[in-house]
Amino acid sequence: MINEVLLWNAIVGGIVFGVVYALIGCSLNVLAGVLRVINFAHGEFVIAGSFFAFAMLNSFGVHPLVALPISAVLFFFAGVALYYLLVPRLAYSDEPETSSFLLMFGVSLMMVSVITWIFEADIRPMNFSFEPINFTLFKIADAYGPGRDGRVLVPTARLVALAINLAIIVALTWFFYRTLPGKALRAATMNREAVQIVGINIHRLSAMAFGLAIALAGITGVLLALVVPSIDPNGGPDIALIGFIVIVLGGLGHPVGALFAGIIFGFVEQFSNLLLPQAAAQMVGFIILVAVIFVRPEGLFGKGQLK
Amino acid sequence: MSSLTQIDEAQASRVRYTIWFGLIGIVVVWFGLMPTLGGNLSLYFSLMLWVTMATAFNIIAGFTGYMPFGYVAFYGMGTYATAMLVVNYNVSPYLAIPLAGLAGMMLALVFAPTLRLGGIYFAIVSLSLAVIMQRIMGLAPDELTGGSHGLNLGAKTNRQDGYYAMLLVLVMALTTVTWLARSRLGKALKAIRDDAEAADAMGVNVQRSRLYAWLMSAGFASLCGGVQAWFTGALDPITAFDVLVTAKTVIYAMAGGLGTVTGPVVGTVILVWVDELIWREFPILNNFLLGLIIALLILFMPRGIVGTIMQRFPRTRRLIM
Repeated sequence: MINEVLLWNAIVGGIVFGVVYALIGCSLNVLAGVLRVINFAHGEFVIAGSFFAFAMLNSFGVHPLVALPISAVLFFFAGVALYYLLVPRLAYSDEPETSSFLLMFGVSLMMVSVITWIFEADIRPMNFSFEPINFTLFKIADAYGPGRDGRVLVPTARLVALAINLAIIVALTWFFYRTLPGKALRAATMNREAVQIVGINIHRLSAMAFGLAIALAGITGVLLALVVPSIDPNGGPDIALIGFIVIVLGGLGHPVGALFAGIIFGFVEQFSNLLLPQAAAQMVGFIILVAVIFVRPEGLFGKGQLK
Repeated sequence: MSSLTQIDEAQASRVRYTIWFGLIGIVVVWFGLMPTLGGNLSLYFSLMLWVTMATAFNIIAGFTGYMPFGYVAFYGMGTYATAMLVVNYNVSPYLAIPLAGLAGMMLALVFAPTLRLGGIYFAIVSLSLAVIMQRIMGLAPDELTGGSHGLNLGAKTNRQDGYYAMLLVLVMALTTVTWLARSRLGKALKAIRDDAEAADAMGVNVQRSRLYAWLMSAGFASLCGGVQAWFTGALDPITAFDVLVTAKTVIYAMAGGLGTVTGPVVGTVILVWVDELIWREFPILNNFLLGLIIALLILFMPRGIVGTIMQRFPRTRRLIM
């Protein structure tokens, strides 16, 4: 029988990490859907966001919650600039998706190099916490035997990150379904040619999509620095791989599918950490990825639904 | 086709092959003499290793049209198979390295079902399989793979013999692609790459041809890994399955031109030399410049050096493989 406190920790962790993964998957899928670009460098953009929060805090004493909107704006414009720099030329290649994968791999090498050049190659601690540091969700009587109660503790920073994350997810869903640019983005995912016929400037839309995705990556980075307060400059590929698992699970190019898939994957990860030996737990994600691609290459939710 | 153009083509092909085999001959003599001339053994070894890797990668990527982003899985399998046989079972490296080549082909056989995936899905799955392999080697019991510390060949390490073994593997790989370029199988592969359904309709056995290319490509990568283990003597899961190995292979092959026989050789020789130069002059910026080169290549020269020359100056097709 598993300890009840550990069980609850896994559930809370699943939600907290799940929404972070959801955000990563969603931004990756905006790129995959609208631009047919598979962003291998996505993890590095997230890490750059974390380091942005780190630098703002340590150099200027800026609160991470203030750094969050600043990073969103900065990363948005960086994304738009990158779009005009990189993507239009990709259209000349024979296989844009694979070429974009390689291109973004090159970008990722450059970014890691710049990040380690500025911040050095060590893992940096994010020395920041809210008051109180931990928040007791509830108590479980006799969790460790008679008379020894257990408490389900969560760092307050994680709860704050969770709340912001959920708000962003709600805002994104509203954006995709209720605003004109959001609808245009979904339409471009479904049919790039038809969107141009109805008078949408596909280049401006694509630039906006790139900006949005990179802005989301930056936001994810700031939130991740709150959830896991140590920043690894070489952690980018791991984040990108989680992102790939999530977008394949939710369906390639499917921003809303990725939101669900991210949360599912968060739970899978936390529970396999709890239930399986460490060796096996690390591989569960990849095995799911390979299995899903073979059994349901269109993702868990199918092609038609959730559009 | 008139008989005149046939004669013309036969002549052109003779010219191409004479130039190509002449070049291979010079390279073999040059590399073969290097240890006695006192050259930098490590540099020339890595040059041969990367030419072989890029050439073998070309079989599956250039001729067949797949982008295995976890190509390092086969290379890593080769290093581990060799080291495990030598260290744990006291097998001679002369036997262990060919067995490692077979082990890589076995692994390719296990991964063969991924060949029915297309484009980006194939790339992502291939990448994940390489990561899984890395984790398996790192988490396996210490007495088998040495765990996260890896293995050490100790006194069995042999730089001299390893160097010549690499030369042998290089010549085998070059001979194989030269044969492939004009063989029935090579033409079938290019037909599949351009239009699998049309090739199928013309009577090409699509699955079997792809599988042969996949096995060849994987086998050479494993041999490279095996020889590398013998030459350097130490290995661990991080370096044996480093995604940079795939990246360099892809870049070198693409820089020269995928789908051409000479492309990967030209690309590797130029870029390894550039890489060496960057390393010496700007050690901090090494990866930055590597990334920049990848990005520029993809944006401005997707066909690579040899491919671009052949496209711009069609007459050179008579001279270049």
